[in-house]
Amino acid sequence: MRKNYLEFWLILLVSFVLFFALSAFDTFKIGNFELKTSGMLDRLLRVPENLKAVEDSAIAVQADTVDVKPKVIDETPQIILFVGDSMLEGLSPRLAAYAAENGHTLYSVIWYSSTSEVWGNSTKLADYITKYKPTYVFVSLGANELFVRDIANKRDKYVKNILSQIGDIPFVWIGPPNWKPDTGINDLVAKNVLRCKNGSFFLSNGMQFDRAKDGAHPTRKSARAWMDSVARWMPENAAHPIKMSKPEAQTAKPARVFMHQPNEK
Amino acid sequence: MEYLWHNICELFTYQKDAPMIFSSGIFWVIFLMFLPVYAALKDKRKQMIVFVVAFSLYFYYKSSGLFFLLLVGTSLLDWTLSRLLVKQKSELRRRLCVVVSVVASLSILGYFKYANFFLWNWNQMVGGNFQPLDIILPVGISFYTFQSISYIVDVYKGRVQPTATWLEYAFFLSFFPALVAGPIVRADYFIPQIKENHKATRDEVYLGFWLIILGVIKKSLIADYISQYNDLIFSSPTGYTGFESLMGVVGYTMQIYCDFSGYSDMAIGIALIMGFKLSANFDFPYKSTNVTEFWHRWHISLSSWLRDYVYIPLGGNRKGTVRTYVNNFLTMLIGGLWHGAAWKFVFWGAMHGVGLAIHKASKPWLSRIPDNWIVRALSWMFTITFVSFLWVFFRADSWTDSWLIIKNIFTNFHVDYIPVFVEVRYVWCIMMAVIITAHAVPSRWWNTLSCLFVRSHWAVKFIVFIVVVQFVIQFMSEDVSPFIYFQF
Repeated sequence: MRKNYLEFWLILLVSFVLFFALSAFDTFKIGNFELKTSGMLDRLLRVPENLKAVEDSAIAVQADTVDVKPKVIDETPQIILFVGDSMLEGLSPRLAAYAAENGHTLYSVIWYSSTSEVWGNSTKLADYITKYKPTYVFVSLGANELFVRDIANKRDKYVKNILSQIGDIPFVWIGPPNWKPDTGINDLVAKNVLRCKNGSFFLSNGMQFDRAKDGAHPTRKSARAWMDSVARWMPENAAHPIKMSKPEAQTAKPARVFMHQPNEK
Repeated sequence: MEYLWHNICELFTYQKDAPMIFSSGIFWVIFLMFLPVYAALKDKRKQMIVFVVAFSLYFYYKSSGLFFLLLVGTSLLDWTLSRLLVKQKSELRRRLCVVVSVVASLSILGYFKYANFFLWNWNQMVGGNFQPLDIILPVGISFYTFQSISYIVDVYKGRVQPTATWLEYAFFLSFFPALVAGPIVRADYFIPQIKENHKATRDEVYLGFWLIILGVIKKSLIADYISQYNDLIFSSPTGYTGFESLMGVVGYTMQIYCDFSGYSDMAIGIALIMGFKLSANFDFPYKSTNVTEFWHRWHISLSSWLRDYVYIPLGGNRKGTVRTYVNNFLTMLIGGLWHGAAWKFVFWGAMHGVGLAIHKASKPWLSRIPDNWIVRALSWMFTITFVSFLWVFFRADSWTDSWLIIKNIFTNFHVDYIPVFVEVRYVWCIMMAVIITAHAVPSRWWNTLSCLFVRSHWAVKFIVFIVVVQFVIQFMSEDVSPFIYFQF
């Protein structure tokens, strides 16, 4: 090779070898600083997307065919923990009305600006579960990550972490009320929830909402209708339906509401 | 390991959702293989041309699949017509060759890029039910179409001799560094370089490397990161406070510059490493103190192309004042439409046309204003505000969204939001500060820095490169905080 190119080519080659070798690790540390790696090796060894799709559809078929018995509604009073992002401001008062009507106790945790990554990186959910020992969990997350690129790879581990924190407790994950097409958060959550026997995913995408002036959050009235849709959907579709008779009161107050700011850890 | 072979094949074949761009890892893997062969063939001009054309077509195949055949077809037609043109004695026949070539190029561009746009407008007029055609836009078609037009026109005007072989022309049209996002290469500037076959010096190789590193910082580090926040703002025009919306607009102004100029830097750098000079495409455009200057500094290869192949043929400034303004306006209108098939781009281009006309008309009295730093600062402020304002229409999904964002800035501006914004989105703020500072410093500093890099020891270059790449990896998976608060 020409001399002018050799040195430059070697710089590129050594850099490539270095980053390729480091990609064998998820992260590595220099002092206290955690460095991410390129993921090149993962890219070479991962299950191809088209084969993943076959695997997922197999799970879907299995999920559809295994549980053919009509669902039995659990009539016992529940301790409900409702966690999620700012969408809870609209959903939680309505769920509280359902709780009051049906003898449940509701604890709501609003973490502003939160995402699956925020919850998945934290133990807050597990801490609340330990403290309040809920028998049922509602999650409303995803609105803040509608446009995250490569979400399937980036957020999968966090969604899995949230589900592992919920453990065996029956749950419903309420999907985000899309105001624009998402980059895959709905598919990602649906796919992971499908693997859980104790949970179900309510797809909100495609529903009609009246939006608040920010164009994203449903109005109070629309959020109530949204929660009503979830309640109507649960008897037939939730993995573990609970008593959700429609309340006369429009809204109520949860037993307790906890709020967390965006930059909290 | 069971999927290794499958994944390797996937990496090297066309993937619809993963076009090969200079900021992708796979490009650099392939470039690592390309370079030794290229270096070995550099002394054998013919073999080098065959190799680069084959590689460029592969590059295009990786980005656009079988559309590389369209590129081959276009180049064959252009080249045949250019050879035919020079043999004609009759002016009419010569012109016919130009018309056929230009019409063919524009028809292909028109079909792929504008068919749905025209059909939609037609249906709006006649009240029909619009069903979009299932058309995939070949990557970079706007760029190489303009190159193809410049070639046949230059041959007709005698500014350039037609290439002796199709391969040389294919080399010009498909030259991979400039193929998918420019700079738009001009035949009279580039074709002589193919004939000359200049061998890059060591300094040129490292100047190219320096430009690549700058491009990576601008595109893959800064533009890709700050775009996440800007996307949030533009996807929910009223979802944020006026201050946040304003930051979204400022952010997009810097994002589009970093993204586009960064990619151009990489293209120019790669070409330079190969021994070819591409003309500069950006010259610190946001330093401009008027709109005319902005267009001399922004996407230079496009604005000079429009000047030479649209504005001057329309009559330029040779047919009176009114015609000059009309020509200017029409040129910018076409420039706007070139950016995309939507009315928002037409509006964006038209408004720049109006801005240019107003600046031209104001020149007599502007020249009477004293040239001091206060005037320059005010001129700069006015220009950057005008340019940023128009970027809103360029970026927003719809006309309504554009006005909502602008309205939000003026009606929902809360100063008390600034500390929270800075606290939560501090990385975004740092990135913006870096790029604004880098843009503001005297350009000679950058020349000095590039000289220092070129002359530095190889170990320094290696360290700079891996640090930059590590930064890209580090920020690739970082996300910007979305909605901070929401209260009914």
